[in-house]
Amino acid sequence: MTHLTARLTALLGSDVLYRFRRDPVALTAFAILVAFVLAALLAPWLSSMNPHDPAQIDIMNSEIPPVWTSGGEAAFPLGTDVQGRDLLSAILYGLRISIVIGVFAVMVQMTLGIVIGLVSGYLGGKVDAFFMRLADIQLAMSTLMLAIIALAVFKAAVGAEFYEDMAIVMLVLVIGFAEWPQYARTIRASVLAEKKKEYVDAARVIGLSAPTIMARHILPNTLSPLLVISTVQVANAIISEAALSFLGLGMPVTMPSLGSLISSGFEYIFSGAWWITTFPSIALITLILAINLLGDWLRDVLNPRLFKG
Amino acid sequence: MTFQFTKIATGALLACAVAVGAGIAGVAPAEAKTLRMAYDADPVSLDPQEQLSGGTLEMAHMVFDPLVRFTKELEYEPRLAESWEQIDDLTMRFHLREGVVFHSGNPFTAEDVVFTLERLKGSPDFKALFEPFEGAKIIDDHTVDLVTVEPYPLVLNLATYLFPMDKAFYTGTDDNGKPKDAIVKHGSTFASTNASGTGPFVVRAREQGVRVEFERFADYWDTESPGNVTEIIFTPIKEDPTRVASLLSGGVDFIKPVPPTDLERLGNEEGVNLVTMGGTRIITLQMNQDRVEAFKDPRVRQAIVYAINNQGIVDKIMKGFATVAAQQSAPGQVGHAADLKPRYDLDKAKALMAEAGYEDGFSITMMAPNNRYVNDDKIAEAAAAMLARINIKVDLTTIPKAQYWPEFDVRAADIMMIGWHPDTEDSANYTEFLLMTPDAETGYGQYNSGNYSNPEVDKLIIQSQSMVDQEARAKVLQQVERLLYEDAAFVPLHWQDLSWASRDGVHIEDIVNVMDFPYLGDLVID
Repeated sequence: MTHLTARLTALLGSDVLYRFRRDPVALTAFAILVAFVLAALLAPWLSSMNPHDPAQIDIMNSEIPPVWTSGGEAAFPLGTDVQGRDLLSAILYGLRISIVIGVFAVMVQMTLGIVIGLVSGYLGGKVDAFFMRLADIQLAMSTLMLAIIALAVFKAAVGAEFYEDMAIVMLVLVIGFAEWPQYARTIRASVLAEKKKEYVDAARVIGLSAPTIMARHILPNTLSPLLVISTVQVANAIISEAALSFLGLGMPVTMPSLGSLISSGFEYIFSGAWWITTFPSIALITLILAINLLGDWLRDVLNPRLFKG
Repeated sequence: MTFQFTKIATGALLACAVAVGAGIAGVAPAEAKTLRMAYDADPVSLDPQEQLSGGTLEMAHMVFDPLVRFTKELEYEPRLAESWEQIDDLTMRFHLREGVVFHSGNPFTAEDVVFTLERLKGSPDFKALFEPFEGAKIIDDHTVDLVTVEPYPLVLNLATYLFPMDKAFYTGTDDNGKPKDAIVKHGSTFASTNASGTGPFVVRAREQGVRVEFERFADYWDTESPGNVTEIIFTPIKEDPTRVASLLSGGVDFIKPVPPTDLERLGNEEGVNLVTMGGTRIITLQMNQDRVEAFKDPRVRQAIVYAINNQGIVDKIMKGFATVAAQQSAPGQVGHAADLKPRYDLDKAKALMAEAGYEDGFSITMMAPNNRYVNDDKIAEAAAAMLARINIKVDLTTIPKAQYWPEFDVRAADIMMIGWHPDTEDSANYTEFLLMTPDAETGYGQYNSGNYSNPEVDKLIIQSQSMVDQEARAKVLQQVERLLYEDAAFVPLHWQDLSWASRDGVHIEDIVNVMDFPYLGDLVID
C-alpha cells in the first residue's frame, strides 16, 4: 500500500504532470480524447437508438437533415442516413468500433514489435539481420497497400458472408501485422543503446537468462519511446481502418465504423444530403487530431533534447 | 511516424479527387465522333447466348444484329430479316437481307440463322425462351422458316432476341481443343472472348471490368443508319456519384443509369441531356423454400410481403423514381391485374408470423448485387431492416454482379434479389423464368431461386403459350398473377424507371427505349 502511495506521490509531483497542467494544448487534447472514449464506452446509454439493430431502423426516417436546418427533427439531432439511422447514434457506435480496432491493432503491433525488437537488438547477428531486412521490405510497401491485398484475398477466399462476421478481427490482425516494424525498429535501437550498460552486464554476471534480462531489465528502460509511438500508432490504426472501410474492405454497412459511415454518405454529398458524410468526418478528424497532439506533446516531454523550456 | 499519417491522408484526399474530378485527365475536347460512355457495369461475356441479362443484350445490339427489333413505340423494325410472313399456324417465313457480312468477312446466310437457333436451344439461359420452337428450316440462302411446336403468339417477339452468329467463325475447336461454340456459364470459352457478328461495332479491345473499346464496322450493312459514332470507349463505373461526376466534368459523354438521388440535379444542369422513362423491370426478392423450412408455409411468405414497405422504398430510396408493385406484370402489359394492391401492414405481418408459429422469428441469409439494379444494395439493406421487425434476423451480403450471378446460380442464400425485364415484353415471360417449377430440361424456372412450385401456375403458363386469342390469354395471365399474389410466391418491390444522361449534342433521346437496349449504332453526335 505504501508502495502504491509512494508511486502516486511521485507521479503527482513529477515533471510530466507539472508540465501537462501548464500546457493548454495538451489539456484540451486530453479532454477531447477522454470525451471521445467516454462517448464510445457509454454509447448504448447516450444514443437514442442502436444503429446495429435493424429492427430499430425505419426507412421512412431516411435522409432527415440536422435539427437546426429546415426539415430537421428533434429526435435526430445530427439528422439520419439513407437507411433512416440516427446519425448521432451511428457515430457513437462507429466511434466504439474505430477505437476498439485502433487499440487492439496497436496491441498486436506492440506485441510483435517488442518481441522482435528485443530479440534482434539483444541477440544481434544473423537474427538481427533477418528481422531488420524483413522490416525494411515491409516498410517499403505502404500499410494500406498490404492491408488492401490481404483483405481482398481473404474476402475472396472465405466469401463475403463470413467476412462480414469476421471483419473486426481481420482488421485488427491486418493493421496489426502491417505495422510491427515501427515498434521493432524503435525497440531495437533502444536495446542497442541499453545492452552495453553496466546494469545489463551485472544482470548477466549474476547468471540471469537472456529472456529475463530482456524482459525485466532492458524493456522497462525502453518504455518512453514506446509510449510515444503508441499514441501515434493508435491514430494511424484508426485512420487505416477508416480508409479501408471507405474503400469497402472494412466494416460492413450494417455495422458501420466511422470510415464506412463516411463512405456510405459520400455519394449523397452532391445531392444535398451533406450531413451523412460531414459529421462522421468531423468526429474522425477531431479524434485523430487530439491523439496526435497528445503524442507530439508526450514526445517533447519525454525527450530531454527537445526540451523547449 | 507523422509522415505515415500524411501519406494516408493524402491517399484519402486523392481518392476524393479521383471521384470528384474523374474527368480531369479527360478534359480535352472529345475527338470527333468518339463516344465515351460509362454504364454501371460491362457485359460479363462477349457470348450473346451465355447469360440472359440486360448487359449481354446491350452488348448484342452493338456487336450483333437481331432479325427484327422493337422500335421506341414497340413496333417491329426489320433488321437482318427484311420481311416476314405467316405461312401456316406453326411457320413464320423470314426473308433475310442480302449482302450482309460478319465482322470476320464471312457472308450472312440462312445457315447462320439455323446455327444460332440451335445454339440458343442449347443455352441454359435462353432455352426456355426458345422452347416453343421446333427449329429453323432453310428454304434458300436468304429465306428461312421458324417452325414452332404449337401455334405460338410470340414468334416475332422472340425474333428480337435472335442475333445471328457467324457459323463458320464459331465452328471448330479453339487452342485448348474445346469446341468454339461451347457455352459455359461464367466459364472461359472461345465465344466469351471472341465475337463475330453483323453489328455496327467491332470489339477492338476488352479488359473485363475495366474498359471495352469498340470501333465502327467498316462493312456495316445498314448504310442508311444516321449513326455517326466511329469509336466507343466503354468504361464501367460502379459508383453512382463518380459516374455522374464523370459526366458533369466532361470525362464521359453518356451514362446509364442515372442514380435517383441525382436526377433533379442533372435535370437542372446546363448542357446535360437527361432522358427518363417508366420501366417494366420488376425488382423482387425470392424466398428459397429448399433452404428454409419456414418459407414452405405460405403464411410466412405472406408475412414477409406484409412486412416489407415497398412504398417506403420507392419514396425514400428510389426518390419516387419507380412504381410500387404488387405483381410482376407492369401496368399496360396483358397480364396486369389491376385489382392487386401493395400490402404493407406490419401488424398483419406479425399476426401471420404468430399464426404460423414463428412469433420468435428465425435467422436467414440474404444476398443482393450492388451494381446491377438501381440502388440494389440499399434496397436490400432496407428490406433486411424491415424483416428484423417481424423477428427475422437477416445476414445480408451485397456483392458486385460479376460475383453475384454465380452465387445466384447455386442459390447461395435464403433470400436472393432478382430483377426481371420480360424479354418478350410479355407477361408470361416473368413467370416462365422466375416462378415456374425449375426444370433443367426445358429451362423453365431458370431464375427461380426460391424453388417455388405451383402446378396450377405451370399449367396456366404453358396453356397461355399456345393461345392465339389475346383476350382469353390476358385472362389466363391475370389469373396467374392472382395465384402468385395469394400464395405470396415472391416479394414484389417495384418497377424500376429507366434513366440515361448525356452531354448536350449526344442525341440519346432517339436511341433509348423501354427495353433499355440503347441502339448505339444509330446514335448521332453533333
